[in-house]
Amino acid sequence: MKDTNPLGNIFISHRAIATIAHQAALESYGVVGLAPKNLAEGIAFALVKEPMKGVEVELHPDGITIDLYVVVEYGTRITMVASSVADTVRYQVEKTIGLPVKSVNVHVRGLRISDTD
Amino acid sequence: MASDVNFPRYVDGREIANSGKLDGQGLKALIEAGMTWLKANQQLVNSLNVFPVPDGDTGTNMVLTMQAAYNEVLHSGENNVGKVAHAVAQGALMGARGNSGVILSQLLRGFSRTLDNIELLDGELLITALNESKNTAYKGVVRPVEGTILTVAKDIAAAADDLKGKPLSLDWLESLVAAADLSVQKTPELLSILKQAGVVDSGGKGLFFILEGMLRFLKGMPIESAAAAIQPLAEMHLEEALSEIEPGQDYEVVIDFRPETALDLEKFYTDLSEMGTSIQLGEGDGMYRMHIHVPTENRYKPIDYTMGLGTITKVAMENLIAQMETMEGDKASRYALHQVEPGEIAVIAVSPGVGLSRIFASLGVAAIVDGGQTMNPSTEEILKAFENLPTDRVIILPNNKNIVLAAENAAQLTVKKVKVIHSKNIPQGLNALLRHNPEGDLDQIAEEMEESLSEVEAGEITTATRSVQINGVKVAQGQVIALLNGNLVKAAEKIDDACLGLLEVAGTQDRERITLFYGENITKNEVNQLVDKIRAKYPRHEIELHDGEQPHYQLIISIE
Repeated sequence: MKDTNPLGNIFISHRAIATIAHQAALESYGVVGLAPKNLAEGIAFALVKEPMKGVEVELHPDGITIDLYVVVEYGTRITMVASSVADTVRYQVEKTIGLPVKSVNVHVRGLRISDTD
Repeated sequence: MASDVNFPRYVDGREIANSGKLDGQGLKALIEAGMTWLKANQQLVNSLNVFPVPDGDTGTNMVLTMQAAYNEVLHSGENNVGKVAHAVAQGALMGARGNSGVILSQLLRGFSRTLDNIELLDGELLITALNESKNTAYKGVVRPVEGTILTVAKDIAAAADDLKGKPLSLDWLESLVAAADLSVQKTPELLSILKQAGVVDSGGKGLFFILEGMLRFLKGMPIESAAAAIQPLAEMHLEEALSEIEPGQDYEVVIDFRPETALDLEKFYTDLSEMGTSIQLGEGDGMYRMHIHVPTENRYKPIDYTMGLGTITKVAMENLIAQMETMEGDKASRYALHQVEPGEIAVIAVSPGVGLSRIFASLGVAAIVDGGQTMNPSTEEILKAFENLPTDRVIILPNNKNIVLAAENAAQLTVKKVKVIHSKNIPQGLNALLRHNPEGDLDQIAEEMEESLSEVEAGEITTATRSVQINGVKVAQGQVIALLNGNLVKAAEKIDDACLGLLEVAGTQDRERITLFYGENITKNEVNQLVDKIRAKYPRHEIELHDGEQPHYQLIISIE
């Protein structure tokens, strides 16, 4: 994404935006990890540390769209966790980058079971 | 079940005997007490928001979560403490609202896990349960942020560890509440955004109130109403109490009196709470005014009671049910909604004030949902607004960023074809409404409306509820602040300065039209003076003025 200031151009890469989204997601309550988007069937997924893997960023003239592929803690109310991670990511990206976020789509890829009741 | 294991145990209704163990009914009573006290302090928790506009809802979310938890055991006579804890945790999970609600439900879930198959809770188990509660909550997040409800839960568990070996008693709860209090006070040191805003963490404070409610209950202190407090007479908002009518509380009694001796507040509140609800007490110049809602058969009791305290100067009594009906009748008759023809596209708008509702109605809205910054409508309320309309094509204008999600949920819960436009404020909503065509193509109209959102700059003028520094703008509590598209841009002593500053930042010079919607807390006179100033500065602009009657915001400004 390009921005101009009097001295020249500012370029912000997908990767930078993805990293911010990734960090924000991990600080959001209920999210215990991000999962790769292309989940080969039958293979147990490994949680990823690489920011581009669980996050997809697309740039549009009217704003950024972000897709998050998350793993949620078992035993939480998933709709609430998803809506709050979307809010947190939107807020952090808009605050740090200063560009509008058009949408944040949260894909719950799995649940992590730490404890059974 | 033998009654000697009941803890709390009552003698003469209130006095507690410590038996060292807690059974299912004891836990149920404590949960209810925690919930009640949290509810009494709900507004206080809500007010601990970090942004200086009234938008907090942590307290409300936690209360709703606790209510869902308590409802699971409401009619249960279960004595097994493990089973009660499980039901409570299950209820909290299903009813979790908001981020704080989710964390609270995790805390309860961890707590209940320890008590599996346990009949009576003792000190040893409570330590384990509180630690498990904390651990479970921490597992829910990869990178826990300290200075939040999590930290408070951790400090509570640590305080419990120190009590090891002592028999379970009231002292335990005293220590835990003290630890929670201290932990809450320290949250700003751990989380800088709290320090900037000059508040403590709201979720942590909520957790503190739950525990404190349990303690107050055991000590026989009132928990129904927030701190037996007196407010200045001028600040009593009796109209607001009207909206909180509970079934069975049919009469509103307001009594002015002069007590002969100093008033024992705690006793006063306790005595009154046996007669009715919504108790308020105001004081000015030695004159007191009390307000209460009571059932029909109790309507003379507060008068008799107050007579015993001193001289009554005035009594006012009103039938609430009749009054409510008149109020609702009034509301409906104040604007005429568009009558939807079968098959037409109906537009539903969320509006914070009657004046704005009238404007929406005049532009062809089929239903209005009351709500705004501090009163977000639920998914159900939005759903109700359009479910009965004779059409299956609906467009929703949430007009507030906090309501978009509820609107989207409502859209998913119906078989009707619903489009939610992401209007984040009133100006966007009104602007989008201009694209409406009841006979058009739903997708196309929704798309046009969505596009129209960026055409308008939305300004809001409100009063800061606390001192804060955000975006490099320094705000003192009570100052007038200006928000442009939701971002703080200006703080000033006077509305005029804030408003002119806002217009400048918004690039009004290059625009054509300014529309002002003035709220409840500004006079027509002030608005007219302001309009004169704006006119002087922007002589070539078209300026429109409407009575929006919205709360909190002196002005909502649309710049096109």
